Amino acid sequence: MFRSLARVSKSSLAAGAVVLAGGLLGGAQAQAVESKTFVVGWFSEATYSQDTDCVGGINPNIDDQYLKNLSDLGYTPAQIEEMAKKELDGENSPIRGLMTSRARVDGKPANPYAYPAFVADPKLKSSVSKLAYGFDLDGKAGPNSVEDPQTRQKGVDNEFARALGCMRSFRGSLESRPTYFAWAWGQLKDSQPAWIVTISGESLSKDGDVTVTFDRALEHLRSNADGSPRADATYRIDPDPRSHNVLHGKLKGKELTFDTPTDFRLLQNPLMAPMEFKMTRAKLRVTLKDDGSIAGIIGGYMPWSEFYLGLGTQGPGTEYCITGDIPGIYYLLKKHADADPDPKTGQNTSISAAYYLEAVPAFILQESAQNPRTSSAR
Amino acid sequence: MKFTVRLLSGVAVAALSCGIAFAADAPAEVDTSTVARRLTADEYRTIIADVFGPTIELGGRFEPELRVKGLLAVGTTHVSVTSAGMEQYDVMARAIASQVVDAKHRDLVPCKPANEKAADDACTGMFMAKVGRLLYRRPLTDAELKIYVGAARVATNDTKDYWSGLSMSLAAMLSSPKFLFRQVAIVQDPKSGQWRMEAHAKAQQLSFFLWNAGPDLELLAAAEKGDLETKKGLTKQVDRMLASARVEAGVRAYFTDSLGFDEFDTLTKDAALFPKFSAQAAADSQEQTLKTIVDLLLTNKGDYRDIFTTKKTFLTQELASIYKVPLVNDGPNGAPDTWVPYEFAKDDQRGGILTQVAFTALHSPPGRGSPTLRGKALREVLLCQKVPAPPAAVAFDIVQDTNNPLYKTARERLKAHATNPVCAGCHKIIDPMGLALENFDGAGAYRTSENGAPIDTSGSLDGVNFTNAAELGKAIHDNPATSSCLVSRMSSYATGRPIDTGTPWAQDLLKSFAGAGYKLPSLMREVALSDEFFRVSPPDTKAAEAAAPNQPAR
Repeated sequence: MFRSLARVSKSSLAAGAVVLAGGLLGGAQAQAVESKTFVVGWFSEATYSQDTDCVGGINPNIDDQYLKNLSDLGYTPAQIEEMAKKELDGENSPIRGLMTSRARVDGKPANPYAYPAFVADPKLKSSVSKLAYGFDLDGKAGPNSVEDPQTRQKGVDNEFARALGCMRSFRGSLESRPTYFAWAWGQLKDSQPAWIVTISGESLSKDGDVTVTFDRALEHLRSNADGSPRADATYRIDPDPRSHNVLHGKLKGKELTFDTPTDFRLLQNPLMAPMEFKMTRAKLRVTLKDDGSIAGIIGGYMPWSEFYLGLGTQGPGTEYCITGDIPGIYYLLKKHADADPDPKTGQNTSISAAYYLEAVPAFILQESAQNPRTSSAR
Repeated sequence: MKFTVRLLSGVAVAALSCGIAFAADAPAEVDTSTVARRLTADEYRTIIADVFGPTIELGGRFEPELRVKGLLAVGTTHVSVTSAGMEQYDVMARAIASQVVDAKHRDLVPCKPANEKAADDACTGMFMAKVGRLLYRRPLTDAELKIYVGAARVATNDTKDYWSGLSMSLAAMLSSPKFLFRQVAIVQDPKSGQWRMEAHAKAQQLSFFLWNAGPDLELLAAAEKGDLETKKGLTKQVDRMLASARVEAGVRAYFTDSLGFDEFDTLTKDAALFPKFSAQAAADSQEQTLKTIVDLLLTNKGDYRDIFTTKKTFLTQELASIYKVPLVNDGPNGAPDTWVPYEFAKDDQRGGILTQVAFTALHSPPGRGSPTLRGKALREVLLCQKVPAPPAAVAFDIVQDTNNPLYKTARERLKAHATNPVCAGCHKIIDPMGLALENFDGAGAYRTSENGAPIDTSGSLDGVNFTNAAELGKAIHDNPATSSCLVSRMSSYATGRPIDTGTPWAQDLLKSFAGAGYKLPSLMREVALSDEFFRVSPPDTKAAEAAAPNQPAR
């Protein structure tokens, strides 16, 4: 039963400036620590798209890609032209029907999203950029390693960015949100449980050791009148330990770095329902911003097949309107996967990636502590 | 002697114009009054819900209301019905009537017609008499009942459907001025010769004041037995009504009117500047203030003046984020917000309704706070002091430019503005109070600085100095004008006519109010038991005759 406020502030009770009552960080803190709590208000792949990323331009629009796919299915140019004309004229074109059954299982048409490996690889382009956000996850600089444009760190592993960097809907920047992620976030933020970030340290105004926890809330993100994330709202922490993540790091100035690789798991993915969000060997960096919010990048290895499954289950509507060729993405992810080879096939099952998050101050309520329900305005 | 005139009003004709030709030909005999008050939208809704149940949808919109002397209640005596408004009343009347007789609600009719394809005068009469008594707040006269039974009969004969006929007749009743207006029939006391309200008029005067609703059956029965003409009988009914849970609706209605919450309908905030001020926050903020008031004044029978200082209130999760306090919703994800009792700390700036979002946000322009608007509201609404309108051609640019680096705070901007001697006089009396609330921005969120400059919230009220909003609340609490203003406004609200603080009745009420420890129910009781509450002017027979030259007064 969630009846209590686990954290009260040192001077005044205010979202984002609280003191732990103890115990939240797995019993690591015997003494009181200063904490700030936040709710994630934006989460997306950390994209850094540039004009030169894709040789000869980005991958075709889905309409054009479908025409290529028809050719792969064996249709003649004349047949394709006739179907394309009907499509353009708004007549009853068979193109979409053919595309939603373009997989071939035992020679029979089948769902391409459920059976992407049974679709001819459309050989979509990958990004050739040498810049991408993220971390050096494997401790070595390989031919596909990139440089983080923010930290200037070299040897960064982010094959996810390379895989999707030439898909229009996955291109963008930290400021200009990629279409797919903006759409997915907008679809799910008002229903999926929010993510809570708690940063704790002996003092968050001095350099030193810090701990950050990620938890799933029981409530979805509360929004403002303009759709932006609402600061100072209250959330309950989901007590399920599977969604409790702890990272240890350092605070220097307003920058927090968490370099110790940590496995990261939340039972719900804010960008894909009903998927989990999982990363292994994850690293994190966070900036404390002057307006009281935080922004950061988390990088690690994630199971690419789960990401694909999230896309594949969305089907033809999403493919046509949002993502682009979904089986094509399957092949891109498979090709760029760079970790955790399957012992039998040798196929890598994980792909290095980096995600960007923004979070605003929030209150959290914990189980088994007293809720004073009194406050001083700040 | 009962004073009546015959009146065939345009309203009645319009109401009966829905194909029921017989009705226009019939004499529409209507009791007239010294005062007629148009039902407010809330009163209309409440009556319909009381008579036909809460599931009836109105299906139309109401005429705009008019604020006179600071109260919509006083404005109800000044408003009529426009032709466009009558169309809407007619739309609502038809919508309501059609629902009342539909299969889902037909049980409201206390009898079954012998033949659903034919008229049944007996059944119609039974139903129309029952609902007519509640809608008109008095029994129908025989003539009125005959008209409505006849209307249903003719319509049934035309449509070959009993329920359609009944619906048309009921719609006509709902469009009648006898329903839409609180008409006050007056009688002459046989002993004193003084004119006073007729018993049913008394009953509705009581019920609309105390419950914001029409009289219930018990009150109507008391009126019909003559109980309201005796002190004992009147007291019994007033005490019964004050002991009822329905008195909360009366208190809410008064404060909703007095605090000007109807202005929330047109209140806008710049979402870029005040993103937390959502539609839900606006609605919740009004409810917060009303809950605070009801809890203090009714539930806890507290001192009225404490509404300006109390630390106790109620919050939803939406409001809590504006107040920056933790408040959890115990329900599942996506569950509607819940109301939770909340108490601010003793040293908190928050306390009293003046520091709540409803007051600070309502009296602010879309993009900033306004000490002037807030101070004006404090003077006029809470202290009953008139603030003159600004003179023509005054330049407000300095006040409105919140980005001027020379004047970072509202205090600095107002100081620069007040160098104009034309402006200085009024600002001198309103700004010091409003500036005390500058810790609350245009949407009611707490702040300590504006444009990087610290906010100075000091000021004075009638010689009492304060340094912040909490102390302002205390100054309002202790100011004698606060309680006398409530007396004035509540008695004005109850009677529909302005009652100044200096009138003997207001003075008497204030004295008893103070003697009772400033308990609101005590004041309401005193008002309801006062002769002044039922006072009427003698009939203007010449005007009545002029209005209906062929139907002389009887």
